[in-house]
Amino acid sequence: MNRFKLLCLALFIAPVAVAAQQPTAPPTAVPAPHDTVRGAIRAVDVRARTVDVTSGVGYALRVVRLQVPASTQITDQADGPPDRIGLSELKLGDVVRAVFGGPGTQFVAYTIERVGRMETGVESTP
Amino acid sequence: MTRRAIVFALALVTTGACRRLEPGDPLPGLSAAERARFDSGRVVFDSTFTPPIGLGPLFNASGCAECHEEPFSGGIGDEVERHAAVFHPERPGFPCDALAAQGGPVFQDSVTPALRAALGIDKEDLPPGVTTIARRTTPDVLGFGLLDAVSDSAILANADPDDGNGDGISGRPNRFFDGRLGRFGRKALVPSLRDFNDGAFQIESGITSPSVPNEGTVAGQPLPDGTDPAPDPELNARALVLNDAFVRLLAPAAPLKQSREAREGRDVFTQAGCADCHVPVLRTSDSPIGALRGKDVAAYTDLLLHDMGAELADICFGLATPSEFRTEPLMGLRFSTQFLHDGRATTPEEAIELHGGEATRSRDLFRALQPGQRAALVAFLRTL
Repeated sequence: MNRFKLLCLALFIAPVAVAAQQPTAPPTAVPAPHDTVRGAIRAVDVRARTVDVTSGVGYALRVVRLQVPASTQITDQADGPPDRIGLSELKLGDVVRAVFGGPGTQFVAYTIERVGRMETGVESTP
Repeated sequence: MTRRAIVFALALVTTGACRRLEPGDPLPGLSAAERARFDSGRVVFDSTFTPPIGLGPLFNASGCAECHEEPFSGGIGDEVERHAAVFHPERPGFPCDALAAQGGPVFQDSVTPALRAALGIDKEDLPPGVTTIARRTTPDVLGFGLLDAVSDSAILANADPDDGNGDGISGRPNRFFDGRLGRFGRKALVPSLRDFNDGAFQIESGITSPSVPNEGTVAGQPLPDGTDPAPDPELNARALVLNDAFVRLLAPAAPLKQSREAREGRDVFTQAGCADCHVPVLRTSDSPIGALRGKDVAAYTDLLLHDMGAELADICFGLATPSEFRTEPLMGLRFSTQFLHDGRATTPEEAIELHGGEATRSRDLFRALQPGQRAALVAFLRTL
């Protein structure tokens, strides 16, 4: 192996070796957001801090239950600039957009935005 | 080329250009690529699914064309489905439970052998607490792409939710759970044709897809292990796109040439107030597909909800109360063999007689017509 090939090999191996010695990042307490849902509030349990959101595709409907820790940012964007609101201010029929994550079916909401209400008014889609 | 051959070729071209649209044909004016998607989509629509490739475990049909079949793919069917819901009139603001936690209001009437062996059932039982069961007939899907291309603002322009003009007819929009304006389905819940088509694979045939990746439940309970052997998704994204293209590009049934009697019936239709809800023409807005853009569609619907009276009431759905139904499109009515949302009427006359609620005045005007005027009205409807 000539000197040039040895140099190339060293340049290739060095960063890999350095990277392998780096400590791995500690697992984060909260998993990264991995999904969103937009739907109507079906139930709010303030004591258990959960909301059920109805969504779906066509007639294939589903309900997503979200845990809502106190740290979850809940905002009202239905009227004007976003306002911070509490869990108890979410009502049945509110249309929300939620970002959530979590293992399996235990979903934790990271943000919940109230964007409108399911109403029969003639205004355009919220 | 001889002169005779040129004349023959010209005649062929002229005949082709002027050929009357047959039911089941694609929209006129499609590009070659759109026509190719239509043809490929028909293959998906006509597919028959089996358990090894994803059918079930719960299902109503083994494919789209098993129901939408008469007298062509995309036509009517004689199948009648069970839908159910729970209505809480005492619950302010949002009284309808469309059984979303159980997968929605459609309950399947068939199961695969594996599910039958596991649970000993022949169909999906209704969950406890259901307050209403509805029957739903199978409509044709012709011209649905044009209905999808009508703008929200055009639909809302006909809405009068509080009957502000005092004519006794309100016209309320329904909305899907994400807030979008609804237009498809007997309760006008579903906002887009793509949603309707994609959801139907899972609801009607138990076929999962990238749009609906999870199987339904058995009345809210998870499927027993081993009853759904096909890996998910059972249908790929390309098949969804092609199937949607077929339905979207199906031409509406072209109305028949009207006789003198039918033309008189058209006038009666307007004078009796039928056209107040069965709005004769909607215009499509912008669309990436030229054949759908800026077209008049003689749908005879306003795509809005109207109170049809207690006699016809069944389930709630979204914002629709049990007695509210979307104005049924009348395009293609001549192919129908059963009428109203549940097929209880066997003739158009019987269907009109069963109208109530906001349509009571029109029904009474129909009853007061001379026999010849009634016959003329029906003759007109039979041209649609």
